[in-house]
Amino acid sequence: MSVSNDLELVESFQKGNEASFNELVRRYQEKVYWIAHRFVNDHDQADDIVQEVFLKVYRALNDFRGDSGVYTWLYRITVNISLNTIRKQRIKDFLRIDEFFEYPSEESEQPDKQYEQSEQKQLIEEAIQRLPEKQKAVFILRYYEELPYEDISKILKTSVGGLKANYFHAVKNIGEFVHRAHRAH
Amino acid sequence: MHTEHIKYSLMDYITGHLDEFDLDQVRLHLQTCPECQNHYNELIAVRDALQHTRKVLPSSSYYSTILPRVQKRLMGHRDPVWSDGKIISRLILPLAVSALLLIFLIRMPSDSSSGHDQTDALFQAVKDYSADDVIQAVSNEYTGSNVLSNPEVVSEGIAEHLQGEHFIREALLKQIESDEIVDMDIDGVLSGLNREQADQLLSGLTEREML
Repeated sequence: MSVSNDLELVESFQKGNEASFNELVRRYQEKVYWIAHRFVNDHDQADDIVQEVFLKVYRALNDFRGDSGVYTWLYRITVNISLNTIRKQRIKDFLRIDEFFEYPSEESEQPDKQYEQSEQKQLIEEAIQRLPEKQKAVFILRYYEELPYEDISKILKTSVGGLKANYFHAVKNIGEFVHRAHRAH
Repeated sequence: MHTEHIKYSLMDYITGHLDEFDLDQVRLHLQTCPECQNHYNELIAVRDALQHTRKVLPSSSYYSTILPRVQKRLMGHRDPVWSDGKIISRLILPLAVSALLLIFLIRMPSDSSSGHDQTDALFQAVKDYSADDVIQAVSNEYTGSNVLSNPEVVSEGIAEHLQGEHFIREALLKQIESDEIVDMDIDGVLSGLNREQADQLLSGLTEREML
């Protein structure tokens, strides 16, 4: 049996072969999960994002015309849903703080968990989580996914020059966050 | 390469993602530019720290659960009313929003309290739709105006036209809901909202995902 490329799978789906969608899910589920996980740093949230991504893909697949690559399109959906999830989480946090003035953080409730992980790793993860949206997206796609700038440019609809600047500032911001945290201790 | 270009290539230099020509350019530049050398040292420290971030693997069976759950949810959503969501989201909703806006603009009241009620009613009517739908619908009312290519200008335009703080705030929220990936200061936006407004924003984002 020949292995279909992504576009062939899409065309096959558009002709009514739903099994092609299943193959796309199997092909990209791991990638989608890891990008989502990098954005939210939480398995359950990443899992929700994966579900939303593939539901959205299914509903939009008949409209896909191949103007961009399938994976570029899929990555863009993943980035958008991940950012939306982060925005929702920030608003939930905002509402929670509004309700309970000194709401205890998850870490302060679970000191053992805090000590299980290295301080440096936590700091880095926090620094990544605090990056502005676009810097975070560029950083994840370039550093962890090692995508070429040309592909990231299609996913984020930003010029390559702009992406390089965003990548530089993202890494600098991570460094500065960690530096400030060390000085504060 | 210019200093700025070198600076922005440093992380790729460190992670080995430059071709040989660019690699030589950066290497030579670093020997003569203390500013870039400083950046380089900082980025090296971050790269080393990043190596502490490990990939946490999900359970071995996790990936095999994804497709069945997606299929289950798809089955649950195949309801005849929404089965052709494209028609609803692309045709009916923008038309409905256009009609509502048109009615509201024509019947702009002089009394401020009833104006606020109508703005609330309008917002209630449009909040379920995506920012693109709203922008498209409004742009239909302003055919020929070249500001319409910029969604932010359109949002601000709506806000100014309606002359109400309420709608200015909603226009801001619409920007958050949009698919545009921007360096948004969401904390700054949130700090300007009260609890009810933040709640509205949250439900808007949640409903948007369900479309």
